[in-house]
Amino acid sequence: MKRSLSAPSGLWLIALPAVAIVIVPVLAVFWRTDWSSFLTSISNETSRTALELSLRTSLVATVLALIFGTPLAWLLANRDFKFKSLVRAFCVLPMVLPPVVGGVALLYAFGRRGLVGARLDEWFGIQLAFTETAAIMAQFFVAAPFFILVMEAAFDQVDRRIVGTARTFGAGPWRTFATVTLGLVRPSLLAALVLTWARALGEFGATIAFAGNTAGRTQTVPLAVYSQLESGGDDALALSTLMMIISLGVLITLRGRWVSALRRGGQ
Amino acid sequence: MSLEINCQLRRDKFNLEVHLTVAPGAVLAITGENGSGKTSTLDMIAGLLACTTGKISLNGKVFDDSTTNRFMQPEKRGVSTVFQGGGLFSHMTIEKNLIFGRGAAFRNTPRFDSAVEQFNLTGLLSRKPSTLSGGQRQRVALARAFLAPSEILLLDEPTTSLDATSRDEVRSAMKTFFETYNGVVVLVSHDDAEIAELATNVARITILRGENTAAVLRN
Repeated sequence: MKRSLSAPSGLWLIALPAVAIVIVPVLAVFWRTDWSSFLTSISNETSRTALELSLRTSLVATVLALIFGTPLAWLLANRDFKFKSLVRAFCVLPMVLPPVVGGVALLYAFGRRGLVGARLDEWFGIQLAFTETAAIMAQFFVAAPFFILVMEAAFDQVDRRIVGTARTFGAGPWRTFATVTLGLVRPSLLAALVLTWARALGEFGATIAFAGNTAGRTQTVPLAVYSQLESGGDDALALSTLMMIISLGVLITLRGRWVSALRRGGQ
Repeated sequence: MSLEINCQLRRDKFNLEVHLTVAPGAVLAITGENGSGKTSTLDMIAGLLACTTGKISLNGKVFDDSTTNRFMQPEKRGVSTVFQGGGLFSHMTIEKNLIFGRGAAFRNTPRFDSAVEQFNLTGLLSRKPSTLSGGQRQRVALARAFLAPSEILLLDEPTTSLDATSRDEVRSAMKTFFETYNGVVVLVSHDDAEIAELATNVARITILRGENTAAVLRN
């Protein structure tokens, strides 16, 4: 007899598919990977360029989410302003929108004939669509909402009285934000950055629509996988394996920390 | 030369009216039922809440005035606080908490050392607040308030939720603190024995229940 309170029996059986649908494909990829040619596959010209581009663009997109998302998340958590719920709705819209639709929208906004893009081209000669900048914008568009949402929850959890205490002890609003608020939300901030970066790294739909799929310029790893799969090349599998190793590596490094940080917000 | 408060705080179904005058060196105890507005009164003095109407000033320095639309930010008021639970920064060590708002060099001053000794904090400096007992945390909060240059000291139920032993420790720490403090002390407390031991004046919040609840605090 197990000496603990009994749970409803058979739960494991019903829960199993939820785990299996993720574990089985991961195992399948590792099983089919030709490990003898794995290194050559991921280090050939196309793969290497795609990897470098992916790392660069996803890191830039994450840093931009940090810079612009942090103030926005703080405002959403701490200030009441007109149209707040509308602003929040727009912030999370990319999470529910099919990414490819987001890419089309970006194209109509910043493409050469787009709402803003036409002016940029006309006045400054700047063309954004189908450039590396477009790939970064597409990743930011899709990934930043994760950052904003997690950080809003984190800022919301910060005890107002603790922040107030810092103010009474002589710290101005900026100093309080930097030394107290940011210190208290640090676990969530780390989780938000990782989540945002992972989402940016995996971005496909918005990128292909707005930045295109030009090898060496806008072809990130997910796009390279897609192209390889289309043309029947062997590198699709190797690149998929690599993406899985990176993702699993990140999750294992953080262990359960990011999940609990997401749940608890800032504390 | 004193802290003068004549103000109202209005919220949907609650009206708080405060009329207080506290002289430097005095320890004013505020007491009254839960939810009657004791903490809100401290918040208005500290600048975490603005009065709806009225005025708060210290020695002629205007903290808050609804007629001239003046509101001084908390960091400018010269107030130090011991809020419920201590209000310590959980991500900082005790030492960092104690020198918060001061330069790092402050920890090497004789004043810092004597405060550490007076509040019995030797050996706790490198620890985080979560590893301390409730009584220890309150002593840290008191020491931090003691070290900050201030003209007003606000304490919100500093001994509530402590066991009897730590309560006595914290109480005697407060007593020595108040004896050397030149500013105005406002202490929110439920505890009659504590009030009798520490306070020089008492103000009780009276609640008038009607269609809207009103609470009046005056001394």
